[in-house]
Amino acid sequence: MNRDLASGPIVWLGIILTTCLLLVLFQTMLWLVMPVLLAVVAYYLLSPLVAFAMSRGMSRGRAVLIITVILSVILLGAGFFVAPKINSTVHSLPTQISEYGQVATRLVENFKQSLYNYLPFLKPRHVVPISDLNEGNSAAPESVVAPVAPPLTLKLPPAAAPASVPTAPATSGTSSDDLTNEVADLPARYSGDIALELAHWIPSLFLVPFITYYFLLEGPRFKRFLVQAIPNAFFEKTLYLFYRVDDQLRRYFQGLLALTALDALCLGTGLYFFGLSAPFFLAVLAAVMAWLPYLGSIAGGLMVVLVAAKDFPESHWLPYEVVGLFIGVRLLDDFVFMPLTVGRSLHMHPLVTVLMIMLAGAVAGIAGLLLVMPVLGVVMVAGQIIGELVTDQRILARHRHAQRLKRQRARADLYEE
Amino acid sequence: MLFGLPNRSNPQLQLLKNVVLFKDLSWRELAMVDSLMHARSYIADEVIFDEGEEGQGLFLVLSGRVKIILPDEAKTTLIELGPGAFFGEVALLDQSVRTAQARAIEDSQIVALFRTEFYSLLKTNSAIASSISFQLARALAARLRQAVLSTGRHHEAA
Repeated sequence: MNRDLASGPIVWLGIILTTCLLLVLFQTMLWLVMPVLLAVVAYYLLSPLVAFAMSRGMSRGRAVLIITVILSVILLGAGFFVAPKINSTVHSLPTQISEYGQVATRLVENFKQSLYNYLPFLKPRHVVPISDLNEGNSAAPESVVAPVAPPLTLKLPPAAAPASVPTAPATSGTSSDDLTNEVADLPARYSGDIALELAHWIPSLFLVPFITYYFLLEGPRFKRFLVQAIPNAFFEKTLYLFYRVDDQLRRYFQGLLALTALDALCLGTGLYFFGLSAPFFLAVLAAVMAWLPYLGSIAGGLMVVLVAAKDFPESHWLPYEVVGLFIGVRLLDDFVFMPLTVGRSLHMHPLVTVLMIMLAGAVAGIAGLLLVMPVLGVVMVAGQIIGELVTDQRILARHRHAQRLKRQRARADLYEE
Repeated sequence: MLFGLPNRSNPQLQLLKNVVLFKDLSWRELAMVDSLMHARSYIADEVIFDEGEEGQGLFLVLSGRVKIILPDEAKTTLIELGPGAFFGEVALLDQSVRTAQARAIEDSQIVALFRTEFYSLLKTNSAIASSISFQLARALAARLRQAVLSTGRHHEAA
């Protein structure tokens, strides 16, 4: 943090409250915030290319147009290349889901068996099938007891389960069987929801290149337009504010990319030594998923573990080793890489970073977790500068002096002597 | 027009052409520099910047008159500047504080070139930035020479 801009507790309270309010607001219009956020990322990635083209004598308009066209061609080419694979994946999705469901079931079963081997007191002693009871076998032996533990079930939203999906039989089996069935049913239950969610998001994602194009083309002019509205006394400080916000966002997104690269490198190297297929592709995918704090990491970890279990069905311990590796990389990420990259890029104390992530999750859920760092970075800079402006008596006096001069000018010749 | 592109008939561009810093620039280059500048209007007696403030950039007088006031007891006027003159140029080179106050003598049109925007110009169009830097260095050298001569005359008089 710039020592000149060190702020007091009131300014920091304002920064935290404003960040929370903005996160709650952004959560309600996430369909618009997400494309704008992606466009901002693209802007910071592409602006060095625009600057390079301009340094070769090209006008901004032409440079932006050419870079956007090249990017669109690359994306379209990648789309044509990837589309057949996506098509085949979509066609084989039910089979894949079924296979991964079986892998997940096997994992849960293996875990259950391992748990019972090491902690035998958790093992249910015996359960009487209800069918036996119905058939009049009421004279149960003395050894028959009810399961000790209460039924263990996953709490899923009722709307998520379509009526046609058969539920796990509730009349037989133990609580751990219920868990196994729930895990096996997860892909079938949620695949429809995921498809619906994608259909909802895709149209707004088409806005991203459009917004990026205008950010690149009109960004400097829009900044000048905004600065025109600033009173003269605050002019230089406000220009500095714009510069700091721009610098803050640039550092954040550069930090995020560095963090993703470090995560992917560590995880990919580990997976490579475990012998998984396409280790670095998986690692990059998991690192990108980790942009969503906590939930993204969990989903990425599950994905890697499932792939490991599917690739090496005979290896009993490999999934646990992969889980260990993943937890190790996450710990490195949270306590070493993140404070060194994103936290440092925002000049933010690691404790503040972690506390704000937790607070954002509490007030705005997943959207809050995703947006908290860039929003906090911008609000922090703005808060510090505004705090400086409103407490600088000299600047306020200059502004009042200018207002008085303008009022005198406006009143001149208004009244006859 | 909200985002009108500057062209040769733009009056602000005509005024910039008279500024010594930009005398070697073509109209196209001048339009590029103009797109980085911020236009401000100051009323007579309004303070443009204060002594002790952190300077962010250079100011150019397009119309009106501006005086630079030393921070001494008598508030001595160091110099009066008219159209085509520039001041606060040291802030373009480093993040130093202003050493004097600038105040409009009459209603003035001023444009400001911010330091970070000048640095971006150095990266994106080094030919333009070099031309401005060269003219700036000449102007600073002239002022230094004038200050040295003035000090020498004071010593001779003493």
